[in-house]
Amino acid sequence: MNRWKSDRGLEARMLLTMGLLTVLYLAFLAVLLSMGVSQMAIILFMGAFMFLQYFYSDRMILSSMGARIVTESEEPELYQIVSRLCANADLPMPKIAVVKTSMPNAFATGRNQSHAVVAVTTGIMERLNYSELEAVLAHELTHVKNRDMMVMTIATFLSSIAQILVQWAPFLGGSSRDRDSGSNAALLLLVSLVVWIVSFILIRTLSRYREFAADRGAAIITGQPSNLISALKKISGFRVPTEDLRKVEGPVSALFITPAISGSGFMRLFSTHPSLEARIEALQKIEMELEA
Amino acid sequence: MGFLDSILGKTKLPEAKTDKLFAISTAAVTLEASQGYKADGKAGVCIKPMESSRYDAARAEIEDLLKLSMKETGTQYKIEKDEYNYVWVVLSDPDFEDLVTNIQMISQVLMEQGFGTQLLAAVYRFRGEDVAYWIYSFKLGSYYPFVPASGRQRDTSREFRLKALMEKEMPIEKDESRWYPMWGMPL
Repeated sequence: MNRWKSDRGLEARMLLTMGLLTVLYLAFLAVLLSMGVSQMAIILFMGAFMFLQYFYSDRMILSSMGARIVTESEEPELYQIVSRLCANADLPMPKIAVVKTSMPNAFATGRNQSHAVVAVTTGIMERLNYSELEAVLAHELTHVKNRDMMVMTIATFLSSIAQILVQWAPFLGGSSRDRDSGSNAALLLLVSLVVWIVSFILIRTLSRYREFAADRGAAIITGQPSNLISALKKISGFRVPTEDLRKVEGPVSALFITPAISGSGFMRLFSTHPSLEARIEALQKIEMELEA
Repeated sequence: MGFLDSILGKTKLPEAKTDKLFAISTAAVTLEASQGYKADGKAGVCIKPMESSRYDAARAEIEDLLKLSMKETGTQYKIEKDEYNYVWVVLSDPDFEDLVTNIQMISQVLMEQGFGTQLLAAVYRFRGEDVAYWIYSFKLGSYYPFVPASGRQRDTSREFRLKALMEKEMPIEKDESRWYPMWGMPL
């Protein structure tokens, strides 16, 4: 018997998005193949490039973020939090890195579970209390567990080829005197553009679903969804007020207006992360499930 | 954890494995006879608490049963939170068998109530020249030694010796990268 249920709706939406991406990519490949082999060279070249990127991504991301791998004696606290979470979720211990910046953030990278790195900024360590930091680390560990690096690398592969073709298309067919190849190039440009735009939206959608899944995983691994809720609120700048109500309540407070945090529905299509409200709502739903 | 589950972003905590938990009772005899490690009358269960009133109910049931067994066997217990917010049920009893039985009882109740996934480890303390712990991981279903030295260092050479000498007596975790230390245990 197990108290934790899985979110069938989220899994179905994720599967649908991945299915649509696959169909789109297969159609794109079919078009490319029907137009000749010159594009295959690009695909092979890109494939090798993506493979290298995937293989060395951990080092690349760490150095671009200015993250430094820390030892257990430097950060005993972090090590103990992560090792207990790993024991609980049955994961191998990842490397732990710290970025010196006041920006509160955390990320996970590495090509697979045994090459994973989980990094936090000094800003997030200062801002969050122990349980909140644990929740954030559990979120990152779930990314590792779900192989999100691999999933997203595969998902973006043909999309980046489409992007490159859009950028190269003017040079591929522009100088040709042959009318036939000129219209071929125009068609290629059009197809690549459509694939690029549609896949971009699908990839971002998939990314948001992976974030929801990582939030859910963090709630399950820590057993406490509310810790992640309060961590998310703190990171996004929201604070539970500490000032006494009687001090705040005055004629002056009428001058302030709470800013609307939610972006418009259209822009949300292009963001990698779901909105704060949507994430908190999903976590609160998990909390209700635990009581059922 | 299947590959497909991870691709679909499904998080499943491993269910608690308790079938090898009892192996410590026979191993304790060998530990004392040939290694000079005596059971120290202390054991504990480490639980990841959950935000749910059902979990609180399960905890209350455990406490009732512990009170009963305290009358029968004289096992003392206390429940406390460690610095990492994990809950410990710490048992003290000079009779090693009573410790093992009570630990089995606690894990049984949690599993019956559907909180088996929240069981992290059972720990038995032994004393020889130094203090050595045997940690039972409910996730792995096996034991591993943990010998803390001063200043958050572990005496790994002693741990490996204990492993080599006890391997035939009890199920010891083969993958040493899973021998997670537990600092600041309340026992």
